[in-house]
Amino acid sequence: MALGMVMFYPSTLAELEVGQHLYWQVGNLKLHGQVFLTSWFVIGLLVLVSVLATRNVQRVPSGLQNLMEYALEFIRDLAKNQIGEKEYRPWVPFVGTLFLFIFVSNWSGALVPWKLIHLPSGELAAPTNDINTTVALALLTSLAYFYAGFSNRGLGYFAKYIEPTPILLPINILEDFTKPLSLSFRLFGNILADELVVAVLVLLVPLFVPLPVMILGLFTSAIQALIFATLAAAYIGEAIEGHGGEEHE
Amino acid sequence: MIHSVWFLAVEAAEEASGGLFDLDATLPLMAVQFVLLAVILNALFYKPLGNAIDERDGYIRSNKVDAAERLAKAEQIAKAYQQELAETRRQSQAVIAAAQEEAQKLAAQSIAEAQQEAQAQREQVQRELDEQKRQAMATLEQQVDGLSRQILDKLLSAAS
Repeated sequence: MALGMVMFYPSTLAELEVGQHLYWQVGNLKLHGQVFLTSWFVIGLLVLVSVLATRNVQRVPSGLQNLMEYALEFIRDLAKNQIGEKEYRPWVPFVGTLFLFIFVSNWSGALVPWKLIHLPSGELAAPTNDINTTVALALLTSLAYFYAGFSNRGLGYFAKYIEPTPILLPINILEDFTKPLSLSFRLFGNILADELVVAVLVLLVPLFVPLPVMILGLFTSAIQALIFATLAAAYIGEAIEGHGGEEHE
Repeated sequence: MIHSVWFLAVEAAEEASGGLFDLDATLPLMAVQFVLLAVILNALFYKPLGNAIDERDGYIRSNKVDAAERLAKAEQIAKAYQQELAETRRQSQAVIAAAQEEAQKLAAQSIAEAQQEAQAQREQVQRELDEQKRQAMATLEQQVDGLSRQILDKLLSAAS
């Protein structure tokens, strides 16, 4: 019945509830409740799987431990490739958590039937389709690479702003703003657009037709998680190495 | 019903703080939450499994080194064995050669002895033969002398 209404009244595409939030008031702060609910689910899932995987660590891994070791090896390889053999180890938790959190968030948004749970306002979806989450992650990435740069090269880190020539100073400074901006909007846009496309297709043709798009969405979600983690690692590696410029898209 | 949904949608849109790009306290809290997650996962996931992986790497590496050592040792032993084998073979060949030589020497010696004996025997037989021949010749000469004397006597008697 709800579907019918939306089809008859295209202007009620607000039924997709873009830009509606479940507001929680804490003190005089406003929070997006639906984002926190799903992010707690994601965090709980990650912690649960980690606990289960490491409960009984064997030399010959099997089952869940094997899966998580595969994930960890994957993350280590990613960090090693971007940051370098020597420095990558302390950054594995950060890059790995970025990847796992975004990946599980995206897939939970695509796979868990959140819409079955009705909220007073807004709807449950992947935490990464809220701009707050992606900006938070992107800013953390910025902080991380600044920290990496300063802790490794001290004030010499500023030298990268006038490399290779001082003429590029404005562009180099601009880069520090474009990096988090592109990171956050890329993730946010991709996930939101994917969910919108799926939602619109489901509204128009509820059966089978949205399936290819959903599968494509799963693929995109995984790729976005990989891209975010890889870029974060690349920025950190760049800050440590000190070869400015080079944008890895 | 339709109207109520429509109304709600409009109301939501009109709400001042709604919208796609609604940045609020969710952002810092999410960041804090994420850092907490990273810390928790570091303790629960990255460290234990990372240690497990590194430990396994070490275990495999040490086992590999051990195996390589053992292989080297085995190869050395095999080499020593081969050398020993070759040595033994050479010795046995030397023994065989020595035995053959000795046998040949023995054979040659016995052949020489036999030849010497045969020679001696032949010489003795020859000597005996010669003796007999001489005796026979002497006898023959005596007979010839006797006969010639008879002939002479006969001739002389006939002539006289």
